[in-house]
Amino acid sequence: MTSMGRGDAGAGMRAGARAGTATSAAGVRVDGPTSEGRETDWVAALSGSGSEQATALRELHGLMVRAAAHQVWRMRAALPDASPGAVDVIVNQAADEAVTAILAKLHTFQGRSRFTTWAFKFAILQAATEVRRVQWQHREVELRDLEVRPAPGHDSPELCAEGSDLATALAAAMRRVLTPYQRRIAVALLVDAVPIDVLAERLGTTRGALYKTLHDVRVRLRRELVSRGYLPVPHGDPPQTSTSTLDRLPTRRAGTP
Amino acid sequence: MNQTPQRPPEVLSDASVDELLRDTTPWLSCEECFERMDAYAEAVARGLSAHDQAMDRHLGACPACDEEARSLIELLQAD
Repeated sequence: MTSMGRGDAGAGMRAGARAGTATSAAGVRVDGPTSEGRETDWVAALSGSGSEQATALRELHGLMVRAAAHQVWRMRAALPDASPGAVDVIVNQAADEAVTAILAKLHTFQGRSRFTTWAFKFAILQAATEVRRVQWQHREVELRDLEVRPAPGHDSPELCAEGSDLATALAAAMRRVLTPYQRRIAVALLVDAVPIDVLAERLGTTRGALYKTLHDVRVRLRRELVSRGYLPVPHGDPPQTSTSTLDRLPTRRAGTP
Repeated sequence: MNQTPQRPPEVLSDASVDELLRDTTPWLSCEECFERMDAYAEAVARGLSAHDQAMDRHLGACPACDEEARSLIELLQAD
């Protein structure tokens, strides 16, 4: 992948990152074996000013291009337009946004990993989010309630009955213990496989908020099916029965219609 | 006598059932997963256990975070 004119420092950085011992021309050390001194160089250089900071920024951007390119390559089948030009735009946009995010969070780097590892994840996140956004940009996301097709048949009548029994019980539990909003989110993410960040953008919320909704859905459904004997009691937990009315009431949540 | 037609039972696919009933405890948010991802990925890339059940559970339940973690591990292993 090209880095649109920023390649020299980036290329040197990439070589250094692989070797683990190189030093850029400006004296900004590339990650080697983790040691406090080397990690401090990145943070200090990026936090500083003048030519050292400028060099560090160029080198950081080169690394972000590398990580973003790696991510886009992994997800290339999802792109409606995987031409080099289109990919380059996504890669460099993701790299730019990653650098911005890193600089804003530089103070949070704690050295639990190499700086480059820590930085890579920002570019990967940006690139993956953008690929999924592009993949779905012309697709309508339907927030539908529980309407599912019959499950495909199993090999044996016994397996078919067992699978249908749990699936049917689960569908009933979804109607019983979930709010309409929870059901729609669960269907969108887990039945219709809408990517979580795509759905978050469409709904004006965050990935984290949607994952929390999913977590609550799963906890409620598992508890309900354990109480009704469809799932085993978790190891160490006392058997539960759904005798409490309060247990059956869905929780009121902000934004619930 | 009026009778409300019975709605036929709705059935979810096996994959959907598995996803809906996935155990995602102990709780870990996507934000916290992102915070831990670099250390986790380095451990895995080195062939070590990250000893992080919450992270394992989250990655098993969140395809977006899982993709990003796998990608980071692969990138580190390429070095």
